[in-house]
Amino acid sequence: MEATRYMSPINPTVFPYLTTVLLAIGTFFTAWFFVFEVSRPKKGGKDSVIFKELLLSLFAALFLGFGVLFLLLSIGIYV
Amino acid sequence: MGKFHLTYLLVVCLIWSVQSAVDVEIQNKNVDRTIDLTSQLVKISYKITLEHSAKKNLNSYSFLIPKNERKSLAYISIRDSSKKELKSTEETNADGALFLVNLPANAPTQILLVETVFTKSLLPYPTEIQQSEKQLVRYFGNAYFYSQFKTLSQKTTIQLSSKNVESYTSVKPSSQSDSTITYGPYENIAALSTQPITVHFENHSPFLTVTRLERVIEVSHWGNIAVEETIDMVHSGAKLKGSFSRYDYQKDGRSGQASVKSYKTILPASATGVYYRDTNGNISTSAMRVHKDSVELDLRPRFPLFGGWKTHYTIGYNVPSFEYLFHTNENYLLKMRLVDHIYDDMVIDEIVVKIILPEGSTNIKLITPYPVTRLSDSLHYTYLDTFGRPVIQFTKNNLVENHIHEFNLKYNFPKIVMIQEPLLIVGFLYILFLCVIIWMRLDFSITKEKEAHPHKE
Repeated sequence: MEATRYMSPINPTVFPYLTTVLLAIGTFFTAWFFVFEVSRPKKGGKDSVIFKELLLSLFAALFLGFGVLFLLLSIGIYV
Repeated sequence: MGKFHLTYLLVVCLIWSVQSAVDVEIQNKNVDRTIDLTSQLVKISYKITLEHSAKKNLNSYSFLIPKNERKSLAYISIRDSSKKELKSTEETNADGALFLVNLPANAPTQILLVETVFTKSLLPYPTEIQQSEKQLVRYFGNAYFYSQFKTLSQKTTIQLSSKNVESYTSVKPSSQSDSTITYGPYENIAALSTQPITVHFENHSPFLTVTRLERVIEVSHWGNIAVEETIDMVHSGAKLKGSFSRYDYQKDGRSGQASVKSYKTILPASATGVYYRDTNGNISTSAMRVHKDSVELDLRPRFPLFGGWKTHYTIGYNVPSFEYLFHTNENYLLKMRLVDHIYDDMVIDEIVVKIILPEGSTNIKLITPYPVTRLSDSLHYTYLDTFGRPVIQFTKNNLVENHIHEFNLKYNFPKIVMIQEPLLIVGFLYILFLCVIIWMRLDFSITKEKEAHPHKE
């Protein structure tokens, strides 16, 4: 039972890079989602449209969410 | 019950009889005492050679502190000749506070090294001085080693901060040379004898007292430990009489000798993101130097501190978690200093330490290097918290540099809880997107469209 020094699961030096990449991907999905929303036919859409919307927004939320977390960590708000 | 009481009484009688039996036959063969008055503290170190008059083995000894000095005693350590620390237990009787130690070696002659630190024992006299005046202080002590036992031979050396001595009580043989006063050697002094002495001398070392220190340690499992210290400080030397003249202070180097312009704080070597601010904001008159084994902060308060003047500020920094946090699986151990250096020969009246652990920590166990008063645990709410972070709090009074030791804090933390924070943000954003999806499916138009517009491909 030798105690080892505790390191962060993700090296703090990569926090800024992770922030940039994750937020970029998140923004891309967000943009895609909104473009898709406004160009969607108002009536008589197919069932698969709702799944595409949910999937797009899920990816956008995931990437933006983790991006915001690492943004907080990299600017010194250690949550 | 009656039987129990009888046994208890017997044990008490036994202890009492053993103690009184020990009292008579131990002698202090030789005592070398050094009283260091160069700072605002009174540091006394003793080298006591013990002897048993009947040449029997010695196994315990009691070190006596007079009753009136007990309150200002901040630190005591008793070591044997091999510099090994001996555990002492304190008892109070009519003569003062007794520190009982068990001696490790069973020999008729032994050497004990005792170190004591007293705070608030150098009293400024006069108590109020003008800006250009010198600060004089008085020390009240005992020419003889105060002990329960007979002392065969003893000598006391007092080291002063300057050679400007106004007066000192003469107890023959006693002498002064430069900044040292020597009392003794005295032969065959009976137990519990006192010979009050007063030394009145010039002391310009910083007389600063931290009246309250709040130390907050916030642990984040994302690899950081944030430390923040809020400090209330007062110049506890001779009070400033009359007005303060900035002109005299700047022009004449000898003016304001008793004031404190700046002091050094030493932070851990890995400290980053250091800030020094008060209620007005950042205090820019500070310098930071990074050394190999420490970070040195040269702090200059917004105004020079004269006697009786106060200041209040906050110092904070981050350290990486691998320096102080250890783990085996999900059992964590935080090993940090209970109190850290603020300035040389510091005096802290009251310290409150708060340790904020990550949300979801359980089985918290605190081990301190010396007894502290544990305050009730509470919860702390900050960014991305739901049910609050556990806060461990404790307090202690009258601390000096010798109290810079590490505490251990053990706790359990399931790693999976870390994912809760990003999921909170993800969930919030996803709800926003869902609102948009629903919004787009609602029809807010006043007039109903008769038929759908043919969609142009």
